[in-house]
Order: sequence, then C-alpha cells, then structure tokens
Amino acid sequence: MVEHARQLVARHGFAVDLVLARERDEPDWGFRGLADIPVHGMDAARAVGYDVVVATWWETVGPALELPARRHAYFIQSLEDRFYRPHEAQRLAAALTHDLPLHVITEARWIAETLEALTPPRRCLLVRNGIAKDVFHSPAPPPVRGGDPLRILVEGNPDVWFKGVPEALEATRAMRAPRHVTTVTPHGRRLEGVDEALGPRSQRELAAAYADADVVLKLSRVEGMFGPPLEGFHMGATCVVTAVTGHEEYVVHGENGLVVDWDDVRGTSRALDLLARDQALLHRVRWGALATAKGWPSWEQQGTVMAAALGTIARRPALERRPFDARLLAELRGGVEGHALVAAERDLLRWRMAPMLAVDRMLERPPARWLSRPARRAWGAARRRVQR
Amino acid sequence: MEWQERITRETPPSIRIEHELRYAMAAPLVRGADTWLDLGCGAGVAATAALGGDGPARAVLVDASADVLSEAARDVPAGEVVAVEADLASDAGVAAVRAALGDARDGVATCFEVIEHLESFVSVVELLVELAEQRAFTVVLSVPNDAFWPVESPWHATMWGAGSFEELRRLLPAEHVIAHQIPLQGSSVVPEGTPALEPPGFVVREDAVASHFIAAFGPRCAEVVARSAVAQADLAGQRQWERQREANLAFYEDRIQWAQGEFRAWRDYMNELERTLGRTPTTAPLDFP
Repeated sequence: MVEHARQLVARHGFAVDLVLARERDEPDWGFRGLADIPVHGMDAARAVGYDVVVATWWETVGPALELPARRHAYFIQSLEDRFYRPHEAQRLAAALTHDLPLHVITEARWIAETLEALTPPRRCLLVRNGIAKDVFHSPAPPPVRGGDPLRILVEGNPDVWFKGVPEALEATRAMRAPRHVTTVTPHGRRLEGVDEALGPRSQRELAAAYADADVVLKLSRVEGMFGPPLEGFHMGATCVVTAVTGHEEYVVHGENGLVVDWDDVRGTSRALDLLARDQALLHRVRWGALATAKGWPSWEQQGTVMAAALGTIARRPALERRPFDARLLAELRGGVEGHALVAAERDLLRWRMAPMLAVDRMLERPPARWLSRPARRAWGAARRRVQR
Repeated sequence: MEWQERITRETPPSIRIEHELRYAMAAPLVRGADTWLDLGCGAGVAATAALGGDGPARAVLVDASADVLSEAARDVPAGEVVAVEADLASDAGVAAVRAALGDARDGVATCFEVIEHLESFVSVVELLVELAEQRAFTVVLSVPNDAFWPVESPWHATMWGAGSFEELRRLLPAEHVIAHQIPLQGSSVVPEGTPALEPPGFVVREDAVASHFIAAFGPRCAEVVARSAVAQADLAGQRQWERQREANLAFYEDRIQWAQGEFRAWRDYMNELERTLGRTPTTAPLDFP
C-alpha cells in the first residue's frame, strides 16, 4: 500500500495520508518511500475531509468508516478470514467486513471473482501489485547452473500456520539429491535442515537472495496475490508451489515452475529432486520464469491503475445497502451457528476429559504427588500430546 | 522497430491486416456516426482501407505526431476532418481532444494500440468512459498481449497481458463486450488460371492465445461481432526486407570490427609511447570480446 501511495503522490498528483488505525502503531520507517508520505493518527485524520478513504486490512474498516469522506472503499488483499482457524472469533469478524456496502479494490483476480460471487451487486476493481523493476532487476538470460547442489529458498514465517514453512523444510529434508537450503524468516532462526538462515531483508537484499537461488519453495495454504515466487522469477529462479490462491495468476506447471499437491511431502521432495538432477528442465522452467517476469507490470504501471481505480470509485455512485445487509446477516447467522458448534464440541470434550482431570487433581495432592512422580511424567507427556 | 509501431504502406501484410481488421470491426459503427473520434490514428492507413471511401460526417483524428496526422487528415474519408496533435498521456492533451469534440454526442470512438504507449492512461480512460456514459458514444479499444510477444517493445510504456486487461475491463462501464483477436496462419493452393478460393471457416480452440484484447462499450457495443480477415503474404517484400536487414547487420558488424581493430592499434601505440617515455601504460590494451 505504501508503494501505491508513493506512486500516487509522485506521479499522479494525489495528496495521500497514511492513517494509523491504532494510535499505538508505529509506521515501519524502513519501508521505501514512507518518509515522503504524511502519517497521521485518527484524531488528526478526523479533522480532514477526504475524497476517498481506503481501508487496507479488516481491522481498519471500522476506523476508516469513522473518517469523513465522499467515498469509503476497501482494498482487500486477501480474504482475511482465512488467516484464522475455524474456531477463532476473528474469522467471523474479518468475513463480515466483506459484506459491507463498500467499493472494493482487490489485488488478485480470484479475490475479485469470489467477492462478486458472494455479493453480486458489487463490481470489484482490480489492481495487482507491481514489481520494483529497479530492485528486482532481471538478469538478461538465466545463467545455466552446473553440477552444484540445487539452491532452494524458503520464505515465510515458520510460526504462521498457513505459510507452510515446516512442510517445505520437511520436503527438502526428504530429498535425495544434494541441495542447499536458505530460509528467509522474520527472526532469522536456524531451523532443522537449513544451510543458511537469513533474517529480515531489505528489498535489495531479498532480490540478491532470490538471485542466488534456483528454486523458491512455497507450500502456503493461504495467499492473496502470492508475491514471493514472482519476485524470484524476476531474479531468474523458478518455483515449486502448492496450488494456493494467487498462483494461478502467473505460475504455469512445467512452463515456469512446478505445482505440487497439498500435504504431499514425498511428491514435493521428488519434484525438487527432479529439478536437481535434470539441469535442462531446471533451465527451461527458469527461462519461462524470467519470461513471465518480463510480462509482469512495474509499480509505475500499477500506480497508474490504482489512480484510475480511485478515480472510478470517486465517480461511481455509493452502493445500495439492502443486498449487503441481507448478505451480512446471513454471514452472521452462519458464523453464530458455526461458533455454537465449536462451543458444543468443546463442552463435549470437556465432559470426556472430566475423569482425566479428576485423576490429574488427585495426583497433585502431596502424598500422591511423591508416590506418583514417574506416572505424572508420563501423564504430562500424554497431556501435552493431547493439547497439540 | 518503427515499422512495427507505425502502420505505413510498407508495413508487412500480416501486421497491416491485423490493424485493418480492428478498424473493419468498427467500420459499420463509424459510418453511421455523426462524429468519429480516432485516438492514435497514425497515418490513417488501416482506417482508410477499412472504411473503403465511405466515412462519417465528421472525423476527429488524434495523434502525437504532426507528420502522420497530416497524412491521415488527407486520406481518411469523412465529410469534415479535424486533426488534433495531442499527447494523450497528459491532461492538456486530453483537454485538447475534448475541445475538438465540442458538444458531439452519439458518436463512435476508436482507440487501437494507444494505451500501451502512454506513461499514464488515467486521463484517456476517463475520457472514453465519460464519452460512453454521458455522451452516448460507442467506444472500441484494443491493447496488445505483450506477455506473449518475445521481444520487449521499446515503444511500449506499459506492459499488457490478460491480467492488465482484466484490470482495465473493471474500470469500464458494466455493459461491455470483450473480444480476443486471434492470429491465424494459412496457405492456399492456386492452380494456374484459377482464382484463389475463400479460406474455409474454422473453430477457435479453447486454448487460443490472443495477440490483442479488445473492449467495446457504449450504446452500440453489441454490434461488435466476430470477424476474420485473410491477406496474401508478401513473400517478395518480406525477402527484400530480410535481406536488407541481413546486409545491414553484416555491414555494421564489419564496421565494428574495423573500429575495434583501429582502437586496439591506437591503444597499443599509446602504450608503446608511454613505455618509451618511461611511464606505466595508463590502461591495458582493450580486449574486445
């Protein structure tokens, strides 16, 4: 979003304010171009009359609606309810924001098509993320790799369940061919089977890491526009990915990457082995990846599309509430019923665990505690397993 | 590359037919319009061929180049021709187009192979949408499928493919028609003394890749229908052009080698002189690949 803001200010004569929806938030000043854009808190922003206010994350929709503006819009970068597991309350809250009568800009076709299927009266605008072509500056032809180990880059937060980082590393460990595995994670923690663990990178450093890789391995379960393999493409790397949402925008199996099945560690490791052993195939898909990268638009182009999209939102009439209200109530009802099911299952589980909890309490008493020390150890291990 | 971007009488038939087909698709709309706006008209070669001498009452022709604009104004058939030299990437250029249109309504606007040349297409897209929504113009526009073109055009300011076209489509009015321009290949056997046969019909395969994406919107957009055109390949012209290119390439490669040899000899002489004077050669002789 910051890059869009930068483009709108620098090239299209827009006046853009970034507003922190939570007063305690601090902007990431390391982000390119952020220093050129005013950043306000909510109080300051309430005093400004905007033409368009755009929410950029489900938690910012409420604050965005508090700000006075001729039009309110929602930049949906993923269906954010999917970031949460079914039992998490935020899942419903995030989904409800999609049912508000707001003009929507999305960054992937699958999001636009899904939202239009859910709420037919709304035509979503589409503005894909561009690529900083000066930073992710492609090599002319991808260099042919010799007989070196396959260089694999795994990017993502290993603690976020839908990024699939542990699964990706498991697949690399199951490979038979020699490989060199690099991870790029928020904390740079060295994980099992990793040769090089990189922490947070600037965009240029990330580009250098991609340039050093043959393959970007991403086994995500949820993605919006799915940027990392595309950035890898620009630097001459191919990808091995799951058929996650967003991949269909640019990944073509056998043309510029390999698409593997869900939960298929063995199949993924065999795909990586294939690329490690068949240098001609590796070169072919890397060549295709670079060609795909050439066809992807720059941030400058996408800034133009964003300017046109915001202009269109300013011109289009406000959306009629009624169809959205009906959809929102249906979503709410579905969510409440889903949570009732979760609560009932939890109650049932608690009832089934009651005898075990009684044993647990008894073993905590001092005499029993001393006598049952070996048994408690085994019990603790079993309980941890149940909790997992 | 100029020959690929500007349609002239010397343009290869395969590229000319591509452009003429787009204008032929719009021609029935254009002929029936009081005002026809052609953004990026070029020399008007394809439009003139497609209209076949039967044009609208008024044509507003717009291009960034005054030279080609005068050719277009001379050749395009219309009761009245207004030529506008304008940079459509700028607000001022689009304002000049608005001024030339005056109060025109119920017209037709064509904008073929223009948007990809503009650093910013915001103003021109806004103009086209405004014409369709507020002044009952029917608009037909096209962009190329750059993603399938092996050579990156130095003339294109933006990169177009299915994704970019989808972004554009969503900026257009809800009622619109989308068409994909599909390249064809063919051949014909012609016994001596007999005329060539019309090419047979064909079915477009589902996996067909478009060379261009076309959108039409406005009150008469439904009149944009399927259309194909076939032109005889100009093998003689193609051979002439390819031989010219090969000869030019060979000539300039020879000149480069000569210049490299001269430079190397000059550098050797300079280094020899430096050594004679007891100085370290300032640079090693250049080793050209």
